[in-house]
Amino acid sequence: MYQYTDFDRRFVRARAAQYRDQLERHLRGELGTDEFRALRLQNGWYIQRHAPMLRVAVPYGELSSRQLRQLARIARDYDVVSDGPFKGQGGYGHFTTRQNLQYNWIPLEKSAEVMELLADVDMHGIQTSGNCIRNITSDAFAGIAPDEIIDPRPYCEILRQWSTLHPEFAHLPRKFKIAVSGAAEDRAAIGWHDIGLQLKKNAAGEVGFQVFVGGGMGRTPIPGVEINAFVPWQQILVYIEAIVRCYNLAGRRDNLYKARIKILVKAEGQKFFDAVNAEFARILADDPAGHEQIIPQAELDRVKASFVDPAGVSALPEAALDTRDPAFGRWLQRNVHGHRLAGYRAVTLSLKRVGIPPGDTTADVMDTAAALADQFSRGELRVSHRQNLVLPWVKASDLPELFQAARAAGFATANAGLLTDQIACPGGDYCALANARSLPLAAEIAERYQDADELEDLGEIDLHISGCINSCGHHHSGHIGILGVDKDGAEWYQLTLGGSDGSTLSGTTTPGKVIGPSFAADEIADAIDAVIETYKRERQAGERFIDAVKRLGLDPFKTAANAVRTSTAKA
Amino acid sequence: MKFINATTCPWKHAIGEDGPKPDPDPAPYRLLSLEQWHAVRAHWAHDVKVAIEFPNDADIGQLAPDLHRIALIVLDFPKWTDGRAYSQAHLLRIRHKFTGAIRARGEVLVDMMQLLARTGFDEVVLRGDQSQAAAQKALDLFAPVGFYQGDVAETRPWFLRSAA
Repeated sequence: MYQYTDFDRRFVRARAAQYRDQLERHLRGELGTDEFRALRLQNGWYIQRHAPMLRVAVPYGELSSRQLRQLARIARDYDVVSDGPFKGQGGYGHFTTRQNLQYNWIPLEKSAEVMELLADVDMHGIQTSGNCIRNITSDAFAGIAPDEIIDPRPYCEILRQWSTLHPEFAHLPRKFKIAVSGAAEDRAAIGWHDIGLQLKKNAAGEVGFQVFVGGGMGRTPIPGVEINAFVPWQQILVYIEAIVRCYNLAGRRDNLYKARIKILVKAEGQKFFDAVNAEFARILADDPAGHEQIIPQAELDRVKASFVDPAGVSALPEAALDTRDPAFGRWLQRNVHGHRLAGYRAVTLSLKRVGIPPGDTTADVMDTAAALADQFSRGELRVSHRQNLVLPWVKASDLPELFQAARAAGFATANAGLLTDQIACPGGDYCALANARSLPLAAEIAERYQDADELEDLGEIDLHISGCINSCGHHHSGHIGILGVDKDGAEWYQLTLGGSDGSTLSGTTTPGKVIGPSFAADEIADAIDAVIETYKRERQAGERFIDAVKRLGLDPFKTAANAVRTSTAKA
Repeated sequence: MKFINATTCPWKHAIGEDGPKPDPDPAPYRLLSLEQWHAVRAHWAHDVKVAIEFPNDADIGQLAPDLHRIALIVLDFPKWTDGRAYSQAHLLRIRHKFTGAIRARGEVLVDMMQLLARTGFDEVVLRGDQSQAAAQKALDLFAPVGFYQGDVAETRPWFLRSAA
């Protein structure tokens, strides 16, 4: 993991002090609500339906057990509702698809104190919201994946530092998200980001980035397109500066829904690419400061030194495991993943359990996960895009013991990648933006599909649920996507099929297609069932859900889903 | 950072009886709109420096040939969350090596001070309700620490400063 320097520490403390000053001015009435809003957003503070929400950055998903314990402490001591209609709520965090952690019940008056507690463990909420460059996301298996070409984490950290409080890019037309992948398989959904970076080696063996731009979900889902096939790693900050400057100056600011870079890229196409490439060339040729943004080898080496394997970790002989217990076998197959080092595995601690919203984690559960990380994974964890935790440094020989411990703690649902490993935003239960609740539907699906054999038989299915068009639940990229919509004050759900996050299994990054009008709240779970039943009936031997959708087209699924309509059935 | 009082500032608009003069005569301390500058730049005396108000949706590069004739460029924040003028100021300082004054006007708030200073502004007209003392405090907040990326005042990023 990245080790904070003295400078990094002083920096997050200065940021916490700056936030305290802003909060105090706001509470004294010297800083208006609207003006404080944009400032608190850039520290991760929203005002939600019932209380403020804090989004804490987990840079590229890496977390230490010490940090997780502090997050647990904050959940326990600060995320507390002591009176009013929601008395007793709180005490937990919600891991998001962007590898962050959100609290829902911390009172704003305590917010500055919480920022200081975060700074104590080298954490912050800087730029987790607002119209700025957001937390950089990456592959949860970075640095340990067997298919990794180049470890993306040092580059992510350099990008994090570069983007943090960048003075020119603090007030962009809209939010700006960057994701980095360094493996053959894209586990970071880079095609769905404003900038997607794929680390590559060229024919000469030099490292660089394939750069995609203009991806994004929301109202107008658009996959990113390649703007440059290979930018040498040394120049990547300059290249991103060129992209973001062109966007800052030319992106639309007249319409919130047309302000993302994807709209500019779509409207201008090659003209935008030419402008970026010209700006890139000018920074290098004309700007005296341009060359100073080129990353020196020494800096890469300095940052890389934080990402070496933990002390004492080296390849081990493979352990023979007793897999007679079918539950253990299933867990090995689903939640245990290959590792770059022989004798090691990465293990998913599932946060998808019946009765608990996807990604939600109480203070006690966080402490338990931290203890497992200490015991089995050198004190390190990852937050995955799919809203689970991952232990990256597990000895294969420890797997039976870890399985028992994970099972006892409720982390061993063997469903990684399966239907019930669903992605869901907090939805209308918490979020002020949502049109509909996502959690009751997620709960109903978890309830209906508890049979491990049935789930395994259905195979990999990405079910993604968003409570509104902001798409925090990534419904566009779900094989099955659900979007909450509001009509006449009631909750409705739009069903899409065939979306892809860009992984090999899911195919080229693409949004799903809507099948018919929205379903009523009491119809949608049956409609999902009908879609799954159709797959079971129509599939060919070994054919995955997403492949069946591609082969069969939408019609058979649509017919089946329509057949379960009650209130929305046409006469 | 210079805090400017717009009423006592010596730079004045060229205004006639019917509003802005389309073609003002050269005179010291003229504060011209971009349109006025376009109208007069061909015959404006080269030894009389001007100030120009530049909109935030035009290409700042068009001033490059005239920069030696300009003492002050006023950049606009129609809303404080509209960050285009930060890029314009950065380009003026870094690319076009403009050494005159760059002033922020419009919705200019205390909490923009660092961004303004770091992108090359050296004068501000604060919005009427803003406190100059608070603005000065905001400027000083990170001074003992510094920032990661380079800026107009210190072009070297932290990784170069720390290695030096």
